[in-house]
Amino acid sequence: MDPIFFLFSLSLAGLVIAGIVWPRRGVLARMAASRHRSERVRLEDAIKQVHACHQEDHSCTVDSLAGRLSVPTGMAARLLTRLADEGLIRAADGEFTLTEAGEAYALRLVRSHRLWERYLADRTGVPASEWHVRAERMEHILSADDTEALASRLGHPTYDPHGDPIPTASGALPAPIGVPLLAATVGDTVEIVHLEDEPVEVYVELEGLGFGLRQQLRVLGRSDAAVRVLAGDEEITLDAVVAANVTVQPVLDADSPDGSRVTLVDVRPWETAHVLEISPALQGVQRHRLLDLGVVPGTEITPELVSSSGDPVAYRIRGALIALRRSQASSIMVQRASSERAG
Amino acid sequence: MAVRAPRSPTRQARRDERLVRLGLSPDRWDYLVALAGNPNVGKSTVFNQLTGLRQHTGNWPGKTVVRAEGVVLHDDKRVKVVDLPGTYSLQAGSVDEEVARDLLLFGRPDVTIVVVDATRLERNLNLVLQILEITDRVVVFLNLTDEARRHGVAFDVDELQRQLGVPVVPGVARRGEGIDELMHVVARVAAGKIVTTPHRIERHAPAVEEAIAALVPPIRAAYPNVPNARWVALRLLNADEVVGGAVRSGELGLLEGDEAEDGEVLGGVGTALGEAVLERAVALRWDLPPDFHDSLVERTYGAARAIAQSAQVQGLKRAAFDLDRTLDRALTSRWLGFPLMLAMLAVVFWITIAGANVPSRLLSVLLVDHGHTWLKGLTAAVGIPWWLDGLAVDGAYLATAWVVSVMLPPMAIFFPLFTLLEDFGYLPRVAFNLDNMFRRVGAHGKQALTMCMGFGCNAAGVVATRVIDSPRERLIAIITNNFSLCNGRWPTQILLASIFIGALAPSHLAGIVAAGAVVGIAVFGIMMMFLSSWLLSRTVLRGEATTFSLELPPYRPPQVWHTLYTSLIDRTLIVLRRAVVFAIPAGMAIWVVSNVQWEGASLAYHFVGWLDPVGALIGLNGVILLAFVVAIPANEIVVPTILMLTVALAGLGGVGAGAGVMFELDSVARTADVLTTGGWTLLTGVNVMLFSLLHNPCSTTIYTIYRETGSAKWTTVATLLPVAMGVVVCFMVARVWGLFL
Repeated sequence: MDPIFFLFSLSLAGLVIAGIVWPRRGVLARMAASRHRSERVRLEDAIKQVHACHQEDHSCTVDSLAGRLSVPTGMAARLLTRLADEGLIRAADGEFTLTEAGEAYALRLVRSHRLWERYLADRTGVPASEWHVRAERMEHILSADDTEALASRLGHPTYDPHGDPIPTASGALPAPIGVPLLAATVGDTVEIVHLEDEPVEVYVELEGLGFGLRQQLRVLGRSDAAVRVLAGDEEITLDAVVAANVTVQPVLDADSPDGSRVTLVDVRPWETAHVLEISPALQGVQRHRLLDLGVVPGTEITPELVSSSGDPVAYRIRGALIALRRSQASSIMVQRASSERAG
Repeated sequence: MAVRAPRSPTRQARRDERLVRLGLSPDRWDYLVALAGNPNVGKSTVFNQLTGLRQHTGNWPGKTVVRAEGVVLHDDKRVKVVDLPGTYSLQAGSVDEEVARDLLLFGRPDVTIVVVDATRLERNLNLVLQILEITDRVVVFLNLTDEARRHGVAFDVDELQRQLGVPVVPGVARRGEGIDELMHVVARVAAGKIVTTPHRIERHAPAVEEAIAALVPPIRAAYPNVPNARWVALRLLNADEVVGGAVRSGELGLLEGDEAEDGEVLGGVGTALGEAVLERAVALRWDLPPDFHDSLVERTYGAARAIAQSAQVQGLKRAAFDLDRTLDRALTSRWLGFPLMLAMLAVVFWITIAGANVPSRLLSVLLVDHGHTWLKGLTAAVGIPWWLDGLAVDGAYLATAWVVSVMLPPMAIFFPLFTLLEDFGYLPRVAFNLDNMFRRVGAHGKQALTMCMGFGCNAAGVVATRVIDSPRERLIAIITNNFSLCNGRWPTQILLASIFIGALAPSHLAGIVAAGAVVGIAVFGIMMMFLSSWLLSRTVLRGEATTFSLELPPYRPPQVWHTLYTSLIDRTLIVLRRAVVFAIPAGMAIWVVSNVQWEGASLAYHFVGWLDPVGALIGLNGVILLAFVVAIPANEIVVPTILMLTVALAGLGGVGAGAGVMFELDSVARTADVLTTGGWTLLTGVNVMLFSLLHNPCSTTIYTIYRETGSAKWTTVATLLPVAMGVVVCFMVARVWGLFL
């Protein structure tokens, strides 16, 4: 028994050592690579933040950048110096601006980031709250070729799942549209055009409220601390902190001044409604499945059966009885037939 | 041979090669007919009616392979019919859709039959219109016209035919109505005697039309004979990788009419021009609206609605009593839903267990007792070497006989019953009722069904997960199916529960206590299934794509005889065949380890010695672990193997039939004696019951998982996860036991 045990321990030890010192894949090699990579990641993050400063019309100083990157001022200064040395930024009166090369670099990062978010939304089941964090990692890993291959696979999308435009390969980036929800006119019906994904906690809260792109809200009232809106049948009060992450655009031809535009969840059994649209927040295979089942604008849809446990609900869609979960129904915008509402 | 101009030999070879790649066997035939349609429209019924059940179901199960194919003779022509997976569309969003689309596009069937459910005409026409975009030669079979009539809908078939531009044959496949007519029309279309003018959606949104108009000329230039340039253009604008690949490689060119003589040259030209087409498509995509795909679907459905409305005659008298609605109200009601479901399942299991007893015993007497003795006599008479006799008769034959006698009867009862419930339309309602529970752990309601199937046989349960069309939920269902106690393991549970747990209770309660323990183990398995589904969906499977949809088909009277036949062929015999294939080597391995001597003792003796310390750690012993290892091919042989090894190693006399020969004792009491002599305690009994629930799936199931997932990674996860859980659970039980007793 002993020699066998000895052989076994020896080979185990051999495996462990190999795992540590193996070239390129071993623990040591990976550690060295990650040190190298993390310096590049910090530099790239710095470029992105300088770019973001300008997008938001803030002044970009060493201090503000240190804050944005959550690094000590000393490190921020060092990063900026390195970027300046490489000709990516230039300094003037303690403020930093991107050079042309820097601008292009920043846009390439933004492009990779938003394309990856699009990919996660369309092709995987990764929850929305994780898109940003994962994309934050991938933007440093994707090479220029990877990014273009990804773009072509996704059919060259123009917007990311949060409503941000994706810069083109040649670096064109349309100006963001809309106004902050905090600045919307009271009494207006507005449409959500962008949901900021940072900080994640706020994004998750908005998601939990059922907010999605293209959803229409009516602004009921506003104070410094909060905004009161009508979403479907529901009156919601949003803290200023939360509302600050929502960008909206006034709707001129609001199709539901009377609140008959609701999600499918709000339609009661045997009440008939017409589909207006599938929320743009729902993308990829999930969206395609609903479309294939015949959930397209104008389709008549009637909840007919509620399962024993309350969810899912079966709907009559184009002659077939299809069960949909609450989460799916909540991303289908419908118009109640007003006569039926009265009855 | 063929009616059309003979193909050049290289061309024919290339086509064969392509079909093999698509999963078809390259038999000789005159016409290739594909059968397409939405899920649940009676497509398989049409298939069986057309082929007269003479099809070989050899392609079971491979997901990437078309489901079934068969050859029929019609007017001296060999017609090969291929059954495509049921899909809602051909957008290639799921594997099924891709399989169907690729076959239509690259397999180039001579005729495509689209089976249409007359009660859901609008939804079905969506698929018909998509198919008409790809291929001209289509025949629509308007199925279930009787059901539609009951719902007060009749059809103007001529109008439908005129609108679609292809022949429409109404009928009721279940009763064979319209099938002859269908075959007749198909043959005429294949022979070119009926020329179709398929409906094509001509007007898309202006921006889309502009892009199409810009892309069609280069496509025509590269591939002059492509019949569906508009469709190819749309797919390219939609960033379809497969179509893009075909355009690039020039394969699209090879699919054209037969007049092109030399494919090589064409392919060369195609590659250069194809590249240009793709570049143009990419450039054009920029100007398309972001919801371009949505608008395409909207258009198609718009056309489907218009056609359906013009061809339907509605407002006829309906059947007075709406059975569907009444049944649905009861079966999904808040109060009755769950009790009815439990009652129904209890009845199915009871029939299975009670009904399987007698035939199982008969088979066992026939195959194990008489068959084995007879074979031994035969080999003795012929005088073959002892080792060959042992390997073949004591090893391979006996293991196989065990597996057949234990597995066949319950499967032959359970699967048809289950299929009847499925055909009736009840099972989707079960999934509907239970979905909420499964949703919480990240799974699909239909997993309840595959789980039930797993109680019969895990391999069949894994195959049944095909009904789950969402990738992530399907993987979860596949990986956790093993937690359903399959009927290879029920006997082990029942035997051990009677010996060790029933014995704890006073004798008049022993039976009930033992039964309770077995049910407890099964419920524990269900809990583990939920737990591991939850873990999987939150860890390794987090990022997999997920889509939920569950269609509740109308109730339909099941076709009893047909069901019996197909479930026997499709499920029972095929699962059994695989089990047998794996039991043979297992039987030989068992015989070898107990008969090959090394350093004065059998291999089994050494293995058990090595495994004993590990076994002791988790409250088992070396014999048990070795038995679980050699019984990987079939769980049924765990107990016989344990008995055989225990007797052989403990040197008990007077029991068993020699080393390497599996046996089972005729009384529970004698089995208990043997096990106690082998050092078993109550803890050992409990832990073996737990480990029998929580260990790797049998090799048949492992192989099936590999076939279904096509991934070594997920197969490994599915294999090792339950073992890890079993080791942990047994270890904890053993330690806690050690603290108190």
